[in-house]
Amino acid sequence: MGERVIIEVEGLVKHYSEVKAVDGVSFSVEEGEIFGLLGPNGAGKTTLMEILCGLRRFDSGKVTIRGFDLIKDSLKVRGLIGFCPQETLLYDLLNVRENFAFSASLYSLSSKKFKERVEFSSKFLGVGEFLNRRVQQLSGGMKRRANLAASIIQDPPIVILDEPTIGFDPNVKREFWELIKNLKGYGKTVVLSTHDMYEADEICDRVAIMDKGKIAALDKPHALKKTIGGEPSIRIRVKDSQTKKALSILEEYHGALRDNEVHISARNPWEIMTKVSSKLATKGVFTEKIEVVEPTLEDVFIKLTGRKLTEESE
Amino acid sequence: MNSIIGIAVKDIKTFFREKGTIFWTIAFPVMILLLFTAIFGREIPFNANIGIVDNDRTPVTANIVTGLNSTGFFTVKNFADKTEALKELNATNVRAVITIPKNFTQNLYVGNASVSMALDETNPDVTRVVRDGVKTFFSEYYKQIYNQIHGVNYTEPITVIEEPSVLGLRIGYKENIVPGMLTYPLLFSSMVVSTGAIVFEREKGTLKKIRAAPIRPINMLFGKTLAALFQTAISIIVMSVLAVVLLGPKLNWNVPLLVPIFFLGSMNGIALGLIISCVGRAPQEASNAATTIAVVLQFFTGMYFPIEYLPIYMQQIGRVIPMTYAAQAIRDVMIRNATISDLFLPITSLTVAAIILYGVGVLLYKRWVEKG
Repeated sequence: MGERVIIEVEGLVKHYSEVKAVDGVSFSVEEGEIFGLLGPNGAGKTTLMEILCGLRRFDSGKVTIRGFDLIKDSLKVRGLIGFCPQETLLYDLLNVRENFAFSASLYSLSSKKFKERVEFSSKFLGVGEFLNRRVQQLSGGMKRRANLAASIIQDPPIVILDEPTIGFDPNVKREFWELIKNLKGYGKTVVLSTHDMYEADEICDRVAIMDKGKIAALDKPHALKKTIGGEPSIRIRVKDSQTKKALSILEEYHGALRDNEVHISARNPWEIMTKVSSKLATKGVFTEKIEVVEPTLEDVFIKLTGRKLTEESE
Repeated sequence: MNSIIGIAVKDIKTFFREKGTIFWTIAFPVMILLLFTAIFGREIPFNANIGIVDNDRTPVTANIVTGLNSTGFFTVKNFADKTEALKELNATNVRAVITIPKNFTQNLYVGNASVSMALDETNPDVTRVVRDGVKTFFSEYYKQIYNQIHGVNYTEPITVIEEPSVLGLRIGYKENIVPGMLTYPLLFSSMVVSTGAIVFEREKGTLKKIRAAPIRPINMLFGKTLAALFQTAISIIVMSVLAVVLLGPKLNWNVPLLVPIFFLGSMNGIALGLIISCVGRAPQEASNAATTIAVVLQFFTGMYFPIEYLPIYMQQIGRVIPMTYAAQAIRDVMIRNATISDLFLPITSLTVAAIILYGVGVLLYKRWVEKG
């Protein structure tokens, strides 16, 4: 185990009856990084995260967190983790501060530390304005922020977030991404699950792509895109009547027609784009749009599994 | 109309998909009916322990003892010493002590026989039935035995002389019912509150938060217990105040002695509720289970219903239920002015039972948690 490794998972297996939800998964998470588990619904992400939090038993394998065995040192391990599941785990009839106090009591936080943490949550997560309001009176966004704040009120070194932005509108989602990145800034190790490739790309230092309970690939997002996602592509849209002509003009570049656009894969797209553009213009083809598109994590997933991220794992 | 039917259909379908809820919905009427059949479906729906001190020791008096036993109304315990018998009476282990004097048989033949009877008067219902039963036995039933033995009619009844009340006062219905009422929260409030505790957390999803925290199962159960104790205490206090204001019973409100009994009784009720909560999968199922068990247990514990009305085997079941000891101890303190030394058995029983129930609760909770 490397010096900075904080979570080490080796050969983890979990069955639900006949279904193998987690199938021999191994990976390690380094201290202070944002580690993402990217995969479609049913890939085994939530099961894996719940195992890490001590909420589920597993059939075989080993999990070590900060050198503590997850099973043998269960209480110590649980003390290191702040878990924020998909659903809001707050008590509606208590106000936000009371919910925080309850969470803090589970971790035996001193009243001094509790005050500090409430202050921190007020500033950092923006819950100050509704600290004394009952949860039942909060908007969805407020509840999610309060939920995140409650799950890290004990100031844990590791934060596990299960689909933290699921169901958010794009603006709130971006706001949350900033919060998560800030957690890293405060020295936290963040493990999150998502099926949103943009989220994984935007905030994760490293991403494990999960499918059918297995890790199909694991690396930094740009490395995954570079090594697995393939070459960037030039996407050209011309008038519908000129599409065939454009395809024949660009034959030497092995252009392919997808979604009414001509796609050309290229290692040096910017150089080729200029050539393509002038060639089309010379032959009298009017270009409506021409752009270079880098491969995405979706492309990586498709390359690895032959399916889209939005399709459920079987 | 469609929406009304839609709502009903949805609820009925949900009901049929919760097997535990179906079980307890059927179990409740079945158990109540079986219980009432067992209690009232008998020819003689009463059986009380009574003590006999036979100072005459003749075949005739031996025959009286056999006769009393064979009525099915009484289970007779023989005592050599009256002091010993009265101790048992004071402890409510027997409801009456009949003393047959020396020369009883001789006096019987000259038409001047009498026995003395000391009654436990802490429960007016039982007192009345025992008094009437004993008097009837001696005045009527014995005539038949006499005829069988001697072949002649014996018309002079045996006089039953009632001894002064052991407590020096006769307990009225109000005094009898209030201690029973105060046992009610131990069974219902504590059990129902704690039954909802874990099921609620599970249903709401908040149990995940608690399970992910570095706390032991016993902490979880004790936390739930404290909250349930608080709610049970409110019920007991409100009930006590209302009982005093509305009924004004003449009872001994020995708070220092009552508090530990209420505490231990509540702990037993709460532990039982937590066990149901760990086993129950849905709130409705757990609630039905708690209600059914509480309703059934109230018959066995003698809270309202004197256990003498139960068949003997049910009385024996009642004696192993911790709440019976709580109910009895509350009666003993409030009616009989029991002291701490008198409460050794109930307090020990309740403590041991609470420890066992919490042990089972922790095991069930751990097992449930480990199953993930």
